[in-house]
Amino acid sequence: MTMLAHRDYRNGEKHDAEVVVIGTGAGGAVVGAELAEAGRDVLFLEEGGYHPTSSFNPYLTESIPRLYRDAGGTIIMGRPPIPYAEGRCVGGGTVVNGGMAWRPPEEVLMEWESITGQPDLGAKAMEPLFDRVEARIHAKPQHPTSIGEDNRLLEEGARRLGWQYERNPRAQDRCVGSNQCITGCPTGAKQSTLLSYMPRALSSGARCLTEVRAHRLWIEGGRCVGVLGKAINPRTREEDIEVRVRARAVVVACGAVQTPFLLLGHRLGRPSRQLGKNFLCHPNTKVVAVYPHDLYAWQGVSQAGQVREFRDEGILMAENAVPPGTAAAQIPFLGEEAFDLMKRYNAMMMTGVLVEDSHAGTVTRSFGAPMAKYSITRYDHERFLRGVRHLATLHFEMGAEKVILPFSNLHVASSVDDLAQIERTQRSRSTIELFTVHMMGTCRMGSRPRHSVVNLSGELWDLPGCYVADASLFPTAVGVNPQVTIMALATRVAQRLQLLN
Amino acid sequence: MLPNPVLQRHPDDGWTLAVPMKVGAGMDRVLRQLADAILPPSPRTKTTLEDATRHALVCLQYMPRSSATIFLLGMRLLNWSPLWRLRGVRPLTALSVDVARRHLAGVTRSRWLPVRLLMYGPLGLFMSSYFDQDYVHRELAYAPAPFVAERIELRRKWIEGEEPGASEEIHHLTARAP
Repeated sequence: MTMLAHRDYRNGEKHDAEVVVIGTGAGGAVVGAELAEAGRDVLFLEEGGYHPTSSFNPYLTESIPRLYRDAGGTIIMGRPPIPYAEGRCVGGGTVVNGGMAWRPPEEVLMEWESITGQPDLGAKAMEPLFDRVEARIHAKPQHPTSIGEDNRLLEEGARRLGWQYERNPRAQDRCVGSNQCITGCPTGAKQSTLLSYMPRALSSGARCLTEVRAHRLWIEGGRCVGVLGKAINPRTREEDIEVRVRARAVVVACGAVQTPFLLLGHRLGRPSRQLGKNFLCHPNTKVVAVYPHDLYAWQGVSQAGQVREFRDEGILMAENAVPPGTAAAQIPFLGEEAFDLMKRYNAMMMTGVLVEDSHAGTVTRSFGAPMAKYSITRYDHERFLRGVRHLATLHFEMGAEKVILPFSNLHVASSVDDLAQIERTQRSRSTIELFTVHMMGTCRMGSRPRHSVVNLSGELWDLPGCYVADASLFPTAVGVNPQVTIMALATRVAQRLQLLN
Repeated sequence: MLPNPVLQRHPDDGWTLAVPMKVGAGMDRVLRQLADAILPPSPRTKTTLEDATRHALVCLQYMPRSSATIFLLGMRLLNWSPLWRLRGVRPLTALSVDVARRHLAGVTRSRWLPVRLLMYGPLGLFMSSYFDQDYVHRELAYAPAPFVAERIELRRKWIEGEEPGASEEIHHLTARAP
């Protein structure tokens, strides 16, 4: 297994490969593994470090700088601003996500088929790809022993209200519900690409250069022939060693924020001017209920299921237990007041409302860093208010003592009657507090250069030899957790990637 | 790749945590005062404020230079927020912790989004550091490491062929809603 880190590099060193893949998350690892298994010489470039299962632990102060981009300090600017999180380690976002493995709804694939004019993107044509991905990541619902009291309570609440609740298929092999998905699964059950696709790629001869940030594409004669990067000193975080990789094809799979950031540095995407546009992010908001009895939400898997009753309106609801450090950062109290509430941590049930995008934002370059901009629409805002009210109603139905609401001017509801204040007080889109982990769009694929950034093989219209294989490809939002869709599209890119001699 | 049944806080896997970002004494004072005002007054240890400030400065090292600079500028602005919010002429560093805390609570609940936005960073950094400490976990009766270690063992047995049964389900009798 070749896995190099900063200490292994010498300045100006050059590597050669048939295909260089930037990123090792849901897109990069899949495309790299598929190509390596097909006999190609693959080299991965990963900005983050290699952290095996044996290093995962439940402590945020250690895990966040290790596993998250910018130590979790990333934000989308807009009304309201939306903090977002993405992985930066071998395995990328799949190491720190919840592992949900939903296929996109059929109507989404039908829309993609219609936008691109390509029957290959329809549900029927994509089915073998989804089957392949699901088999490799062991997508299936949870074993009963892994489900905790909070998820059972949510399911029971949905049942009482007559709402549809479905168990999530998750990328897991014998998950026992340690509830550490966001700090890296310490049991090895979650089938992140660190454990599913990367070992396949490496055992087929692929190499991985970790702690290297790709700065520029290497372009010769109008064709992409490699990547220029710099290795990051793990102690000082200085980019102090130049690393170059020459290849016959370059696959960019850095996610929907970093991929357009890299490509925009070369003024690409000119035919359509769509590069960095069409930024989608499935904004979420938190609803935290405090019950009169302890639930121990940190015991048992996070997000065992979803309330899908309002799926047609683009609203999903789920449990989402987080460690106390993350929970405390999201409550609107300081000092003693914060501690008094956090003392009830074991009685808290953390839930969230996800709203499907009705509008798109942009990603641009600004002062050497990517700048994502996105504002929710009035329609999104109305759906958030509806979703929060539904979820709070469920909590009160199940006996919650109070519900912490995600509004800067309305923090607490103590009864169902208090929820009537939501409509009255929430007229501005600026008072809701959102976050997200599903960034999509920005390099949409299509069949015409005037309307898309990449063609249906994932290759840039205006830079032969350069492919995209991540959530940037999505022409529209998927409305469900995007991991499986990214993996299926990455498999498709691998199958279509052409190497010129 | 084997799981880590010991679950060390700083696993000895050869990976190095970055050194904290270097800031001047003035900024250090600002960060400490903000941490002191934001964090619960108890429980604390002698190093609570130092640990929280250090964690913030380590995290800044992982951000792009421009983002870290903007964050530190924001902290300066926050320090002088009593002045620009017309609540006084002295910065937070010159106020008692209780007064500073009351002032920051006002900033957190301000009706102006750009004002509230100033609190996102320090709240996230200081709270995530404080509520990650063992002595705070004890107060909250939150003990993830023994629970995870038990689950690792359960999975090990499962891999060996012993599928978990009803006795391994996660139940807390107190969680039954009335």
